[in-house]
Amino acid sequence: MNASPLIDIQQITYTYPLQNKGKSKAQSPKALQNVSLQIQPGEYLAVLGHNGSGKSTLARHCNALLIPDSGRVLVKGLDTSNKADQRAIRDCVGMIFQNPDNQIIATVVEDDVAWALAVRGLPVNLIAERVEQAMNAVSISHLRKLPPHHLSGGQKQRLAIAGVLALRPQCIIADEATSQLDPLSRREITALLHQLNQDLGLTIIHVTHLLEEAALAQRVVIMEQGHIVMEGTPSTIFTDIERLRQLKLAIPEPIELVSRLRAAGLTLSREALTVDAIVREIVR
Amino acid sequence: MTDHIISVKNLSHTYQSGPLQKAALIDITMEIERGSCAAIIGITGSGKSTLVQHFNGLLRPTSGTVAVDGVNVQARGGDLKVLRQRVGMLFQFPEAQLFEHTVYADVAFGPRRLKLSKREVRTRVLQALETVGLPPHTYAQRSPFELSGGQRRRVALAGVLAMLPKILVLDEPTTGLDADGRTEFYYYLQRVQQKDGVTVILVSHDMSEVATLADQLFVLHNGRLVMQGTPRAIFGQGNILHQWGLTEPPLSELLIQLHKQGLAIPLDVFTLEEALHALQEIETTRHEKENV
Repeated sequence: MNASPLIDIQQITYTYPLQNKGKSKAQSPKALQNVSLQIQPGEYLAVLGHNGSGKSTLARHCNALLIPDSGRVLVKGLDTSNKADQRAIRDCVGMIFQNPDNQIIATVVEDDVAWALAVRGLPVNLIAERVEQAMNAVSISHLRKLPPHHLSGGQKQRLAIAGVLALRPQCIIADEATSQLDPLSRREITALLHQLNQDLGLTIIHVTHLLEEAALAQRVVIMEQGHIVMEGTPSTIFTDIERLRQLKLAIPEPIELVSRLRAAGLTLSREALTVDAIVREIVR
Repeated sequence: MTDHIISVKNLSHTYQSGPLQKAALIDITMEIERGSCAAIIGITGSGKSTLVQHFNGLLRPTSGTVAVDGVNVQARGGDLKVLRQRVGMLFQFPEAQLFEHTVYADVAFGPRRLKLSKREVRTRVLQALETVGLPPHTYAQRSPFELSGGQRRRVALAGVLAMLPKILVLDEPTTGLDADGRTEFYYYLQRVQQKDGVTVILVSHDMSEVATLADQLFVLHNGRLVMQGTPRAIFGQGNILHQWGLTEPPLSELLIQLHKQGLAIPLDVFTLEEALHALQEIETTRHEKENV
């Protein structure tokens, strides 16, 4: 195992505080129970799980949006419960959410990308340079003068990513960042995250309930009732279709087809997880 | 002879906001058969929502005609109240509209406003809950807010069903539901269609969903109807949907690519079982050739 993980989650437990204090005696269930996970620099990790499995709660512990009730989370060795370090932690681990509208502030695309930099009081020429690079990385330079509400859903999500990239983080967490997008934009954003991982060496934590989005990850963890219940490479995880179904994950039909063909005696590589790979494997 | 519950002729709709005009629908002509499930697909801004809002008279045509179960929706005039009862609409994330303390009260909200007898309201509510798989003796007195996301959405569906609509319009009905929630929702929706003969109109960009449920697809792009046909016919035509920003379901995409690579897969293969069968057959032929 690598000596120093970027994010080191050590036996954390978390329960959301109750809304109606005192009235109800019922304790809300634990959202995370004794979870441990190490994420290495440059890794592409997918966190899978159905609604309410605890995957977003886990993700929010990675940049100090939530602080564990017990156990601890270290980001580059900094403890997330230490208030003085939280700014540094959030600069290191950026996050994008389901609805990009919640993350867009300015009235023009390039101003929005510059926002967090301007707030931090960086010199103008440095801001200009970083904004340029961030917009190029997600291919929205041609939209720079547009107001954000003129963008499509996929373009807005790119803009949200650019805003985070401008801060030069080491890690980006995409928390269900594709689930409100149409299928084509969904694929584009997944491909973009993969590309940022490959080209810039960014650590990516991709939180999703869609199996097909986890196919490109190096490692997959699956959450259920606040626990990590499965962990491995996509090719090992995707072979146990029955187990995935029990965990309330939708099995993409191409994956199911491959599994049924294999059961019928065809030899097909376990690495065939995307449509393109499956096609190559069958034609061979 | 086919019986069209909805027929649209040369429908155009232009939004007017101040001096700006935007043509949202342009010369649409289409027919939807009674008791069928029709899906209207297209990217954001293609005109899907504008179109379905004509079906219950929320919008009126700028030009052209829309006839819904014998009622004409015209540019002006006509009593459209009757239409709003006949056409039930379930919007996106309908569970956000639940507000009563009990499931029963929430489903009863609509029928109570129809000035029906208490008994009639009760019968309707109980039936609707039964139809969506929430048996009243277990669920009627519970708070909608302690149910799962999928169950809450079915409470919202029951609320619409209790109005006894002849047409049910659903806008992205399963967005945000997990696999189980989806499968259940499809099951109960198909039951409504088959048992009560309700015509279902689905607005969706989830092609797997559309492939599972719809008898007929209508593709909208920039306010025009650019294509219509059965899912089998449309998804079998290769990557034709890409030009309108849509994709075929993943399985069709796989089969289309295999076909392009020269595999003898018939293009109208559509379900998992059919695909399995076709591929096994190809494999057997391959073996036989090798053995000759």
